[in-house]
Amino acid sequence: MTFKGGVHPPDYKELSENAPIKSVPVPKQLAVMLSQHIGAICKPLVNKKDKVVAGQLIGSADAFVSAPVHSPINGTVKDIALSSHPVLGRAEAIIIDADEDNQAKQPCADKFDNSFSPDRFTPEQIFESVRNAGIVGMGGAGFPTNVKLKANPNSPIRAVVINGCECEPFITCDYRIMLEWTNQIIAGALLAAKALNCRDIYIGVEDNKPKAVDAFRQAVKNMPAAAEIEVVAVKTKYPQGGERQLIKSILDKDVPAGGIPPMIGVLVDNVATAAAIAEAVVFGAPLTYRPVTVSGSGVKEPGNFYAPVGMAAGDLIELAGGLTDDAVKIILGGPMMGFAVADLSTPMTKTGGAITILTAKEIGSIRMEAKETPCIRCGRCVEVCPVNLNPTKIAHAVKHNLLEMAESYHMSVCIECGCCSYVCPADIEVAGLIKTGKILAARAKKLMPK
Amino acid sequence: MLENIKVSHSPHIRKHHSTQSVMLDVLIALVPALIAAIIFFRMRAVFVLGTCIVSCVVVEALCNIICRKLNSLGDLSAVVTAIILAFSLPPTLPVWACVIGSGFAIIIGKMVFGGLGSNIFNPAMAGRCFLTACFGTMMTTWTVPATIDVNMPKVGQVQIASVPAAITQATPLALSKEALKSRATDNGTKAESVNSVFSYLFLGEVGGCLGETSALALLIGGLYMLLKGTISYIIPAAVLISAFILASIGWLIDPQYYIAPWVHLVGGGLLLGAFFIATDPVTAPLTKKGMWIFGAGVGGLTMLIRIVGEYPEGVMFAVLLMNSVSPLIDRFTKLTPTGGRVNA
Repeated sequence: MTFKGGVHPPDYKELSENAPIKSVPVPKQLAVMLSQHIGAICKPLVNKKDKVVAGQLIGSADAFVSAPVHSPINGTVKDIALSSHPVLGRAEAIIIDADEDNQAKQPCADKFDNSFSPDRFTPEQIFESVRNAGIVGMGGAGFPTNVKLKANPNSPIRAVVINGCECEPFITCDYRIMLEWTNQIIAGALLAAKALNCRDIYIGVEDNKPKAVDAFRQAVKNMPAAAEIEVVAVKTKYPQGGERQLIKSILDKDVPAGGIPPMIGVLVDNVATAAAIAEAVVFGAPLTYRPVTVSGSGVKEPGNFYAPVGMAAGDLIELAGGLTDDAVKIILGGPMMGFAVADLSTPMTKTGGAITILTAKEIGSIRMEAKETPCIRCGRCVEVCPVNLNPTKIAHAVKHNLLEMAESYHMSVCIECGCCSYVCPADIEVAGLIKTGKILAARAKKLMPK
Repeated sequence: MLENIKVSHSPHIRKHHSTQSVMLDVLIALVPALIAAIIFFRMRAVFVLGTCIVSCVVVEALCNIICRKLNSLGDLSAVVTAIILAFSLPPTLPVWACVIGSGFAIIIGKMVFGGLGSNIFNPAMAGRCFLTACFGTMMTTWTVPATIDVNMPKVGQVQIASVPAAITQATPLALSKEALKSRATDNGTKAESVNSVFSYLFLGEVGGCLGETSALALLIGGLYMLLKGTISYIIPAAVLISAFILASIGWLIDPQYYIAPWVHLVGGGLLLGAFFIATDPVTAPLTKKGMWIFGAGVGGLTMLIRIVGEYPEGVMFAVLLMNSVSPLIDRFTKLTPTGGRVNA
């Protein structure tokens, strides 16, 4: 069982898949973004020159859909200022100068043994811990996790799906934690299910990661509380890690277009999010560090790091040996959906699991110089679209500023996976145009009087 | 250090292919039929093919210069159009007529619409249609393939001169038409005489257009494109299935005068049309459902023209007719997103 469409880009995982997650020395300065999630932007709770300690709450918002931010280190607030943000362009961040005596935080995976049981915690406790820890979807979406863990009696969750697909090329941080933090991820899955009073738990892993599948199967066998978890090896295909696609592959259900998985009684959380849930609930630790892959042939020593949120991309790249001379693209995230940046001071966020640095070799010599040629209506984008859209029609409509026509082709359903651009022989920025169209449509709606 | 760094929309990696490589695959797929054409029609094939290619390329280059557009020859589509046009022309067609046909194909068939990707009609078929309208007799005069012994008795042979090269021959489909017409009077040509040349038809040793004759060569090319993923199987399958069904109906009614359906499939331009002409992505619908409708329309109309209509062959008109409705098909086969429509 799998979803319709999708593509098979080369995965390049060999660059970093065998590099264990390394702790990093505490950087001299961090810039902790006040908006690292979908929802209300946090208000700073500290002032310039305030002393902060690791784990201290430094920003929060009253809204239900929001996630607080914490300081990952001991230090002094240098400033609250605009910093470059991979998605928003520029956004407010709390800049913290690190103290001399900082100790880098270590992963806590070894504290989860086979005797773990979620029964010690009530659903309310789990919800509160997750909310206080500021956990957001760490696969990239950044939706506040506590919102998803609030049980809704009108639409009960019947299945929790833990997403270990990691279908983006290059990225291996989820793969590493699946091997190194296996029990912790399972603990997080059990806690999420407990919070929603749900029994069915699935862990989906792409079948190109047999070691991770085996690690989970072994761990599930050894953990009495986890006996009923089903580990599913799903087909290796991009974007298998999209939640709609994963639900289709595991449960054979379609999430309504324009809807969200809870509408059909399913919760999807990334493996890193599950690990963060476990840490927050059991140890009360806020989300201030996350695994990050730095890879690509544009970096000298690709690897996986346990890095503080707010660390500058450039600092992580230095830890990975620095840029090579032929590096041409720095991407926060993977090459299919990540954001290209030109500013090495861009800080990492809770959702940023990777920095990918590409050279002309990976981008392709054709692509480096080529200009867009006319659409020959070959239909490859239609064929690969995982949500069954007609990408070229939408892209053309947007290009000619015909937003209504674009909407008539269901533009808003697009999941922005980029498969259409990937296969386009004419090198048209199909996905880019559709994304632009979605932004223009959202703006137009706000401007129009009701 | 960062001066080389580029930013752009995601995705940042692309499949390594281009319009040029897609067209190159089509050209490679045309090679078996090209070789067959040269084997069967020798220098005539070379003249017609050469003239079409040179004139298509030159005309497209001139169009680009006149319209101050970027050079579009690199996408190779002009060469593909030229070869498909040449394949659908009789080998005896004079050079000047080839030039006119190529010019019409490129100028009116493609460039006036804005070039590759914007044209409504398949350019090669537009060119051929123009030639058929202007020079009807030339377009229906067929020579015997050079590989056939001149002394061998041929199907429906008409000796118009003493020199072997000028021996002309009615095509199997023209004979099929005669058979159908003679059904009313119950004498004259029978379908059997056409059915009996099936193996010649399959290999291509019959009179006909340059590239249409060898079913085998066209099937090899079609298979290559299917395996390479250059074309989807849908349009060829829809064309051949619908044509087969309609041909079977006639054959089941009266096998004496209706030729066998498998002969219809390998005869005339049906295979060239199914694999190379109807699959032209620019002029075919985008959706799978649309492709089935389009293909079925091409196959069905071809058969209607062959069996009921006035012309012995109908691929060209069928393709052009379906081209004209392909935007409409697209409109009526709009896709529903996975998970249903968004409630607006």
